[in-house]
Amino acid sequence: MAEVEERIARIKNHKGVKGLLIVDENGKFLRSTMSSSGNDTAPKQYAQKVTELAKKARSVVRDIDPLNDLTFFRVRSKRQEIMVAPDKNLFLIVIQQPQEDNE
Amino acid sequence: MSQKVEETLNRINTHKGVKGIIIVNSRGIAIRSTMSQNETIEYGSLITQFTSKAQATIKALHQEEDISFIRIRSKKHEIMIAPEKEFSLIVLQNPSNDETN
Repeated sequence: MAEVEERIARIKNHKGVKGLLIVDENGKFLRSTMSSSGNDTAPKQYAQKVTELAKKARSVVRDIDPLNDLTFFRVRSKRQEIMVAPDKNLFLIVIQQPQEDNE
Repeated sequence: MSQKVEETLNRINTHKGVKGIIIVNSRGIAIRSTMSQNETIEYGSLITQFTSKAQATIKALHQEEDISFIRIRSKKHEIMIAPEKEFSLIVLQNPSNDETN
């Protein structure tokens, strides 16, 4: 399990990452690094809506080719990017603010 | 104006791995496509529906946000969607075509 923790920490500490959510197929939280303070949208709502959308993306892929499957999904808006990596029974959701590299 | 469009389409189309490009209007009807009619209709309608759902989701989460780009990556290919007010540009690409000559 330490490996999972390491990975979560590594993603979380990446530049611009606002939050990371691990949810199951029903949008229920398994892990979350998002704090609700300062965010206008509750993590729970995020999880549910994004999971629904990811499932819809998956069905688009499968409708076109039943043998195909979703491997990754990114939605970019003006201020942030939401990335979803589906797995067998869960979804990894990362919200990142695209920033310029100031190093 | 349409020459620029042709040039852009051409530039994208000749990019490595690109399988097809579809331009749909706001009603989901394909106005240009480099793919077969059947595929165009299939992709066009599914993706337009999906894009509306995505836009509704983002609006529900952040009222002032608008989607600038969507990427759906699957085992066999990647669908890229650039939605605009009056149309959406959809590109289908095979990401595994990394043959360096």
